[in-house]
Amino acid sequence: MKNQKRGQIRIIEAFLAVLIVFSSLAISASLTTERKTTESSDLASIGLQALMKLDSDGSLSDYIETGNWSGLRETLNLLLPEGVSFNLTVYDGDMQQINNEAITNGNLDSQEVASVKYVCVSQNPNFKYYVIYLRLAVVK
Amino acid sequence: MKGLKKLAGAKSSGQLLIVVALAIAILISTTTAYVYEVSREKPSSTQDYPIAELIQAVKQGSRNAVISALANASTGGEKRALALNLDRLVQAYKSLNVYGLYYLSYNVLNDSRYVNGVLLSWEDTDGLGVSSAYANFTLKFSGLTEKTTLSYAINITTTITLEGHCTLNGSEKIVNLTCQVFNEGKTALAKNITVYYEVNGRWVPANSSNNLSITDYGNGIYAISFTISTESDAVQASIHVYDLRGIFVKANVACNQA
Repeated sequence: MKNQKRGQIRIIEAFLAVLIVFSSLAISASLTTERKTTESSDLASIGLQALMKLDSDGSLSDYIETGNWSGLRETLNLLLPEGVSFNLTVYDGDMQQINNEAITNGNLDSQEVASVKYVCVSQNPNFKYYVIYLRLAVVK
Repeated sequence: MKGLKKLAGAKSSGQLLIVVALAIAILISTTTAYVYEVSREKPSSTQDYPIAELIQAVKQGSRNAVISALANASTGGEKRALALNLDRLVQAYKSLNVYGLYYLSYNVLNDSRYVNGVLLSWEDTDGLGVSSAYANFTLKFSGLTEKTTLSYAINITTTITLEGHCTLNGSEKIVNLTCQVFNEGKTALAKNITVYYEVNGRWVPANSSNNLSITDYGNGIYAISFTISTESDAVQASIHVYDLRGIFVKANVACNQA
């Protein structure tokens, strides 16, 4: 009888241990996700603002229409905060990629990446629009 | 139950602990795998932006579409360019579903001055020239957490004012003009300025043979002077301007002798 009770207590102890371990892991997982989502959202917001600033005077579509990819890369480098890597891809209205060279300032592999999708409407008399995908990551 | 009781017995308690330890190991490993999965690279969707930024982005797109239409209409394109541009813009946003779930609609201004949302007022001789386009938009945005309906108007207007007089210089007349360029009521720069004067009902471009000089003060004010041989008291002058957005506007003025 004594041994039986001792065994039951052991089972309860073991399950308590499982519960503690599981709950601590669950809490840490939720905290990690929340933090990373916020960071990613902030980065996307920064990227969107940079593109909007560049688009406000029509210079974004000018860079695209003249194929001045190095100029676009340098301007984005200036507009984005230091320590942010980016990779930009430009598509026309038919979703055909336009940029024939990489518009990037670093490698985004194995990093937390935020994505921005932006429609750039040209101020050119002939109506055109471009779809821009901007991927951003904080250099660690 | 019998089995459990047996396991819980003193002799089998070690086996039970092994089973429980295995259960713990499985739980920990699956939890770790889950944590790893969710904390891996998470591409943020555009819906992660604040809604105010999405609205700004759509406004920016519609503003550029109106500028494009006015640049087209003012350089000889059809006045329906605005409606055509905005149709294409609405379709583009709809097909790409760029900023989540929303519906953008528009209507162009039609009144005594605007036709199909475009106003080109150039022919007066009071020294005022206006190129303008106006459209109202309604944006209905349905995100996961919030629903927003926003109405806004886009008014793109390039205006020039022209003042002038002429002075007699021997047998010639020196025409002095002051031109000011405005975008949406604020001073703006011109990309290109061409000067004309009227001779026998025909507009003639002023050039270096007329000692044409254009001084750019950098604040939207341009001082222009040229010389012509004419016997008439007043000289009709016309200035054709392209602003930095490619919108064309012209203004005419009668320059009387000072």
